[in-house]
Amino acid sequence: MSRPSPVLAPAPTAVFLLHIGSMDNRLIGLSIERHWKQSIRLAQSLDEADVVLVDHDRPGVDEALNQLARHPGIGVVGYAFRPESLQTRFPHHLTVSKPLNLDALPGVLNRAALLGRPLQPVALTNMAIQESSEPRPWVSDEEPDLCGSLDDIPPSPGAPLPAKLFFEPTQYLIGHLAQALDEAIKTGRPHVVSGLPRLIGVPPLPQPVCVTSFRDTQLRPFSMAQLPDATARVVNALTFSGPGSTDTLHTAEDFLWNIAAWAARGRLPAGVDPYRPVRLRAWPNFTRTWAAPHALRIVALWTREWASPVEIARRLEIPQRYVFSAYTSAHFAGLFQPEPLAAISPPAQPANDVAPLIPPQRPSILSRILRKLLNAV
Amino acid sequence: MLSERVRHNKIIFSGTVGAGKSTAINALSDILPVSTEALATDEIAGMKKTTTVAMDYGVLNLPGGEKVMLYGTPGQERFSFMWEILSNGGIGLILLINNAQPEPLTDLENYLGAFSNFIAGTAVTIGVTHMDRAPAPGLDAYRARLAELGHTPTPAVFRVDARSRDDVAMLVKALLFTLNPGLSDA
Repeated sequence: MSRPSPVLAPAPTAVFLLHIGSMDNRLIGLSIERHWKQSIRLAQSLDEADVVLVDHDRPGVDEALNQLARHPGIGVVGYAFRPESLQTRFPHHLTVSKPLNLDALPGVLNRAALLGRPLQPVALTNMAIQESSEPRPWVSDEEPDLCGSLDDIPPSPGAPLPAKLFFEPTQYLIGHLAQALDEAIKTGRPHVVSGLPRLIGVPPLPQPVCVTSFRDTQLRPFSMAQLPDATARVVNALTFSGPGSTDTLHTAEDFLWNIAAWAARGRLPAGVDPYRPVRLRAWPNFTRTWAAPHALRIVALWTREWASPVEIARRLEIPQRYVFSAYTSAHFAGLFQPEPLAAISPPAQPANDVAPLIPPQRPSILSRILRKLLNAV
Repeated sequence: MLSERVRHNKIIFSGTVGAGKSTAINALSDILPVSTEALATDEIAGMKKTTTVAMDYGVLNLPGGEKVMLYGTPGQERFSFMWEILSNGGIGLILLINNAQPEPLTDLENYLGAFSNFIAGTAVTIGVTHMDRAPAPGLDAYRARLAELGHTPTPAVFRVDARSRDDVAMLVKALLFTLNPGLSDA
């Protein structure tokens, strides 16, 4: 009887990071080092690379790509905010959209390296909802609202809720930020989220603020992606010296609203009961925070009455994912009202006797003004 | 002659001197606003070179030829007699508070008191201006004062740059949804 021959693991795909910014370089490098080293390794030069990863949005990308002329066998994976605009310019590149989804990236790199030919473009946005690491066809009408595509859950409690309705905040930047804010307020001392390419400082006084040199365009992909374990750490910042010349100062409420919305993408934090009534104590500062579709209507209604997220969606006749997104932001921004002493018991059945807020048949003057503002702004 | 209904399509902008009422109307209006600004001659002179002594007037042109008037009240209290006249029949109030004034929360209280009858039948949203150079009090302090004054649910309070059309439009949108969250935004 012959002994089975040992199965040799395939050699890791060698990826060369070509023309990539220092922040992306660090994040991808960390991911490879901590999570993907069985399947991916960093190549030190183009000569040893199976595939290159290119940031198409950085100035000078054409000059960088000229280096590939001498390496025709290397697969190319590019990433850009608008990958569709690059398909004609770089028909032989696999172009994926920002923000990069780190769960899906190894699969994409491996496939580009193995196939050695152009692949169908894939979208890597909203991938925490699409938990698979398989690339999926790039959709030209990419959902711009960042609220995902989750189906509604039943209007009444009872049925098991889908796991994908929830996300675990501690796996995202929002969880670390919320922890930093809690610690800062509790101790009265600044805390810092470190481990990312730039720091986020959270001094608690006189009012909690978040200080960072991250720009919004950088923060959004970091907020949307699950961070590799132990990437971000919250530390007591004895040496935090306050905002520097390149830092931007945000109120903690505005900052956490945005980061939470980008992480949520239509989901709820783990442990939230979508049938439990809550009420907003205040409007968020919508001139400085990101407003998902229907966010103003949701907030207007939710500041008026106690209602569950599911009930708010029913009253406004909108998909629940938009309400879940607002819920998540308000939760982390601290905008929910504390429950009154008399506990509010969630209704067993939806309050069907409360009619949905249906706009009148003939647009009112309010609707016509709104239409004007929505179309013009 | 305009119908009564059309004449009453108006949104009122009020608030403290230097809060940016004229600027906000200018940012939103589809016409060059009609302004009755004059050289400031009283205690205001130290703050701004001109001030509105009667009212500002702008227009939002709606499809179909309909118009919404944007009325700005004069900021000085000696013109407060005009506030009620201007606001009569209006859709709602955009209240702008200059956070760089010595007592902005008192200003808030005073203006809400002056417009209390109007607000009771309509709605108000509040824009806090000049927070870049005077960050305190923060928005939470405004919300707390509004709650103390019995304004529940708490009206929308936004940090606003009156020069920004987006900011001013957001105030108006919040006013409209406060009046009716059922308005379709699709």
